[in-house]
Parts: sequence; C-alpha cells; structure tokens
Amino acid sequence: MGGGPNKPELVINGKRTDGRDFNELRPIKIIASPLANANGSAYLEWGNNKVMCGVYGPKEANPRHLADATQAVIKCRYMMAPFSSLSEHGRTGPNRRATEISKVVKEVFENVVMTKEYPGSQIEVYIEILQGDGGTRVAGVAAAAIALATSGIPMKDLPYAVSVGRIGEHLAVDFNMIEDNYSDSDMPMAIAPRNNEILLLQMDGDMTKQQILEAVQMGIDAGPQIVEIQRKALKAAYEASTTK
Amino acid sequence: MRNIVLPGEIIAQVPQRIENSYIENGKTYSKIMGMYEPNTRGVIPLEGSWSPNNEDTVVGVITEQRNKVFIVDLMFFGRCLLIPGKFDEYVFTPGEIVEARIKEVENRKTIVLGDGKLLEGGRIIKVKPKKVLRVIGKKNTMIDQIKALTKTDIVVGLNGLIWLRGGDIDLAEEAIFKVEREAHTSGLTEIIKQYLENKTKRE
Repeated sequence: MGGGPNKPELVINGKRTDGRDFNELRPIKIIASPLANANGSAYLEWGNNKVMCGVYGPKEANPRHLADATQAVIKCRYMMAPFSSLSEHGRTGPNRRATEISKVVKEVFENVVMTKEYPGSQIEVYIEILQGDGGTRVAGVAAAAIALATSGIPMKDLPYAVSVGRIGEHLAVDFNMIEDNYSDSDMPMAIAPRNNEILLLQMDGDMTKQQILEAVQMGIDAGPQIVEIQRKALKAAYEASTTK
Repeated sequence: MRNIVLPGEIIAQVPQRIENSYIENGKTYSKIMGMYEPNTRGVIPLEGSWSPNNEDTVVGVITEQRNKVFIVDLMFFGRCLLIPGKFDEYVFTPGEIVEARIKEVENRKTIVLGDGKLLEGGRIIKVKPKKVLRVIGKKNTMIDQIKALTKTDIVVGLNGLIWLRGGDIDLAEEAIFKVEREAHTSGLTEIIKQYLENKTKRE
C-alpha cells in the first residue's frame, strides 16, 4: 500500500478527503435492465465509478469439454475500458489483474446462483468498467447481482459488496481512488444479506485480527443501505413500465 | 395485493411448497424476481429463459437438413430436431418457418419435435419467453382478441417466437409488444381491447 514521500493527507479534521465520515458510503445509483439484447443487464454509478454489466444464458457451454453434466458453468469477465482510469489499467485485453478479479467474482456467483437447475449449460457475466475510481470490483459485483436478477436466473440471494479498510488508526468503508492507493490497508468484500455469509474477502496491506473483525462488521453495517438501493432499482424497472 | 419479490426474500415463515422458491432453516425464500401473492401456488417469474415441456407448441426456423431429420432454430441453447413420423413426409428447405410440437425433451438439452407444419410467408417476432403465456391469455382470450380485431393470422410458440401474417400486421405486432411490456399489470385484456379499437377506429 501507499507510502513514499508523496503520500497525501488522507484524514483532515476528522473527515476523509472527500468530506465523508468514516462509515459513510458514496452515492449509489443503479438502473436495472438498460440493455435490450442481453438476457439481463444493469448500469451502476458508485461515486465516480461507472459500471455496465450484461448477463447471457443459460446457453450451450462453449468449449464443450468444459460443460458439466450436473450443473451450469459460470463464466465471468471483468474488464476495464481503455479510457476508464490510469493508462496502466486501460490496456486492452485481459491482464493479470483483470483475470484475478474475474475469478473471484465468478466464485461469488457460484455460491449464490442455483447452477443445478441448468445442467450442461453456461451462464456468462460480463462486467465492463467504464470509469474507475477505487472499489471497481465491489461495484462490479453489486451490478452483476442486479443483472443476474433481471435475467431471471434462480439465485439463493442478491449479494452486495463493499470495501472496507484502514487509514492510519481509523477504519473506514468504501474507499475511493486516493484512499485505495495510499491507505494502509483495504479489504473488498461481498456478502449475502440473507445470512451475512461472506462470499468474497481479499486484503491488501496489514490489519490486526481485532481490526479485521471490526472492519467486517462495518461492511455488514453498511449493507442495508446498498441492499435497499439494489432492491429499489429492480422494482423501479417494473413500476416505471406500468405508468407508461 | 400482488408484490414484486426478489431473490432471497422471505415469502413464508414456515416451510411451504411454493413454485420458484426454496426452503432453508424452516423458512421459505424466493429464488427469482417475480410477482407473489400470499397463499397462492407460486412466484410468477418476471423474466427468464424458456424451459421446454412435452406438448409445447413452438415456432422455429429450419437451419439444416440431415437425411430426413431437420435441425430447427428455436432460440434455445440446446439442440432441436424435427424428426418425421412413420407416415409423415416433410419437404422443408433451410430458412423456412415451421410450427411444431415437442414430443420429447432429453436431458433438458435436446428437444425432439413432431407434427411439423410449414408457415408460409409472414414474419417472426420475438418476445420474452416468460411473457408468452400473457400474450396467449387465459383460455386464449388475449390472442383471440388480437386476431379478431386485426384480422391477422398468428401462431404463438411457447419458446418466445411468434409468427404473423396478413391483416393489420403492424398493429398486431404493436399490440403484442404492448402486452409484453405491461405483462405484470392486471386487467390487461380490457386495456388491449380499447387500445386496438381506438387504433382501428382512427383509421
């Protein structure tokens, strides 16, 4: 995590760089099923993050030798657009970071999607980061959950995701780009709100055991706000079409 | 009052056998996004792909012929084969539209069709498979009404493809898309009736 002589001041007068409290989220806006040609889709703005997500399937597994006769295979592609962020992230094509995030996001949805209902098929999740400002993988998971729900694929739960971390002695939720780069530790996590099951937990930097437990609790406490926005977005997509 | 429920939402505090739901720790949860009214049979899905059942009527396009077996595109991920019976002789060419009935579904992936019938001319439109039942309506009320008021021949495939020919074909298409958009509202047959009558009167 960040250090060096150019490290900016991350806590000013007890507030963070963008004026937020330590347990305050950035504003979130979600539009459910904006795309006509995908089976399910979602557009999400989380602070300055802009994410588009599309879901296809269930369809025939390709290549065929990857098909599983007992359950559906989930494929996930996380990709940052060339104009999304710093040039090193925007290189076209998969890189080490995109491959890793695709894998962890895939594992999130393997635990919630009822894959046993579609044996021999494949479900594709595409997450495109149009603009990145810290915490894109959690924004991606939150968007992909909405996209999967709008595609009608049976799921156990509607997961949400949030990043937590440590700035000096303070613990905080929802890091932006500067905090992501220069804080002491950051920990993205995805949670199933039904039973607070943790589906994704990664960590950069260092925290003590006590701090990790507290940080996880902060993420769970922030959950209801995100879930509320996700649910409202899904319902709004159908209520809007009634009034037309 | 019907409510929209989302995946993971509790729909009953006791284990109950409800369509499109699952039971965990003695409680019943919805597994899809759908409409649910307490004490009814199931959660009605708002979106989703088609799961083929025997005796379903489908509409598709012939893509290939191998010996006497035709491969049909039903917009479904599995394979769909139209196999002639003992006394049938089908003469189709690739690109033609057919209506057929499902005889058998193997492994939820391979569909065997029978009773093939050629649909000449006309056009095909696609609606979401979960909205097709609304396009047909209870006891065919909706589709009969659209047929009568627009004088169009319509064949509805449960796979989401609908074939139309003749009459006021554009109006029929518009009405079907209107049903698809507003499928979750109640009293839709009456709304569509008024909509079609207004349109035909104006012309």
